[in-house]
Amino acid sequence: MTNTPKNSSTPNSSPTMTSTPNSSSTNWDAMKHQFMQIWQVLAALVLIYMVFFILSPPFRNIDTLLSIFGQASILAILACGTTVVLISGGLDLSVGSIFAVVGVVVGIALAEYELPVYAAVLIGLAVGTLLGAFNGIVQVVTGVPAFIVTLGGLTAYKGFAEILASGRDLSRFPDSFKVLGSGYLMPMIIMFGAALIIGLFLTKTRLGNHTFAIGGNEEVARLSGVKIAKSRIYYYMIGGLMAATAAILEVSKLNFAMPARGQSYELFAIAAVVIGGTSLFGGRGGVGKTIIGMLIMQTINVGLAYMGVGTSVQRIAIGAIIILAVYWDVSRRRSR
Amino acid sequence: MEKNEIKHLQKAKNILEARGISKHYGGIKALDDVDLVLRDGEVLAVVGDNGAGKSTLVKAITGAISRTSGTILFDGEEVRIDSPTDAKAVGIETVYQDLALVNEISITKNIFLGREIVKDNILGRVFGVLDFKKMDTETRDLFKKLDIRIADIYRDAQAFSGGQRQAVALSKTVLFGKRIAILDEPTAALGVRESKMAMDLVASLKDHGLSVIMITHNMQHVMNYCDRVMVLRLGRLVAVRDVKDVDGDTLVGLITGANKSKVA
Ligand SMILES: Nc1ncnc2c1ncn2[C@@H]1O[C@H](COP(=O)(O)OP(=O)(O)O)[C@@H](O)[C@H]1O
Ligand SMILES: [Mg+2]
Repeated sequence: MTNTPKNSSTPNSSPTMTSTPNSSSTNWDAMKHQFMQIWQVLAALVLIYMVFFILSPPFRNIDTLLSIFGQASILAILACGTTVVLISGGLDLSVGSIFAVVGVVVGIALAEYELPVYAAVLIGLAVGTLLGAFNGIVQVVTGVPAFIVTLGGLTAYKGFAEILASGRDLSRFPDSFKVLGSGYLMPMIIMFGAALIIGLFLTKTRLGNHTFAIGGNEEVARLSGVKIAKSRIYYYMIGGLMAATAAILEVSKLNFAMPARGQSYELFAIAAVVIGGTSLFGGRGGVGKTIIGMLIMQTINVGLAYMGVGTSVQRIAIGAIIILAVYWDVSRRRSR
Repeated sequence: MEKNEIKHLQKAKNILEARGISKHYGGIKALDDVDLVLRDGEVLAVVGDNGAGKSTLVKAITGAISRTSGTILFDGEEVRIDSPTDAKAVGIETVYQDLALVNEISITKNIFLGREIVKDNILGRVFGVLDFKKMDTETRDLFKKLDIRIADIYRDAQAFSGGQRQAVALSKTVLFGKRIAILDEPTAALGVRESKMAMDLVASLKDHGLSVIMITHNMQHVMNYCDRVMVLRLGRLVAVRDVKDVDGDTLVGLITGANKSKVA
């Protein structure tokens, strides 16, 4: 399910002590290491899919596979942002409510002000990013923990969305907007695009690399000269931006906006991140894993539904898997 | 005029002067009016019992914690050091006790943490895209120069032994420490062989043009590797000696307070 401790089981014997550096293996080994970590979660996904494939005849259908991807994609985009925040050792419980605000704002921009689609989209993305920045700034300035600040955001942003939406009919959007989120293909393309961009950000850029350092050991990072506060604000901005992207796609898909949307999405996102194998304690993880984690969740949901299992039992199953994934993470840390 | 010149010359020999450094935590005086002088090219030992204030002194000097009071002179000029970044800017590189490496990131990334090299193109300048090839090469060159035998530089730091990790941390002072290396218990928790390896590295810092402040509990290391030694007890400076003028027993006496002594 989750990646095993590659290097923790044999802490002393693992590093090679050769005096002749073999430069040719540099990137290969690093890439192999990455792949080894991700393939185990991938194997779990395939295994779970196979189980439902065997157990349930209606599951054996390409449309089922597409609907799994379809359901996963919008939430997976949101979860990519959550991945960044969790790797940095942070937590964002407010993204579901940011999702609601952005949905309503974009709805108003399109239905009431009849702004062009690109303008509505840009406004939506900007609002999400600003709310994310606000999460980060409040934490950095006040020193109140992420859990509390974003829990406050969870309810406050929701209330904000309700005020904005009250007395408004947010539906009937232009056709050019509906293209974004309808069908399976566009959301999937945007999901893979978002994952690719955030993956490159995390692995290739300075700010992205600092995510792991800050989440791994904030004090060492600070003493090394890493700008902790500024970086953290950026990570929450990415969380907000991804929530906004997801919200825009969903509003487009549903062809209406309402403040009740996005409810519990922050928890689904955290669940997918953790199931994928990103550490809840920061310092390790990646967006590829999160996409697979989200696919695992949706496969289980869809699979159980096809077998006639109700949503309540689906929730219990997902809950059990989350605990299992975190248990795995905790025991891995303890063995170090 | 002449007098001024002599004064200037004497000052120039002190690369670092910390004057009247205090750090109070509420009522606790972790550090009380301590002076530290580091001469150009020397290795200065700082000794003292657990809780004497050694780590606090280091952190107060490098700006890792705020000072309650005290001023710092670098090359005879007063400098503002309010953060570790300020200290690095004047050429002071520090290996903090228990806070040297991030376990979760690779050796190369640890070496360059906070000072990453970005690509020399638009991607590097605009998006901060890193030049891993260059950083890997520099890391390898550095390890070769210092005879540190670690090939798996892309591996997470946590995979390495205490001695290897300390070697990596010490190597950063050579790469980035333009003037001064400050080491907080570089051999703590190391075995005999690893300890020797680490101290050989410390000894080589001098050859790389660094003046060194080293905190240690090992009197043998003071005697064998250091030029002068200062003793802290309960947050106060109790003695400063040339190493050739003291022996291990005298030092232990100063550390525990068994024999009283005036500041030299
Ligand atoms: N953050 C802090 N809050 C309160 N007291 C502290 C803090 N940091 C250090 N101290 C106290 O300051 C004293 C000196 O600590 P330290 O410099 O770590 O000693 P040493 O490095 O010599 O063992 C100790 O009594 C310690 O308890
Ligand atoms: Mg100490």
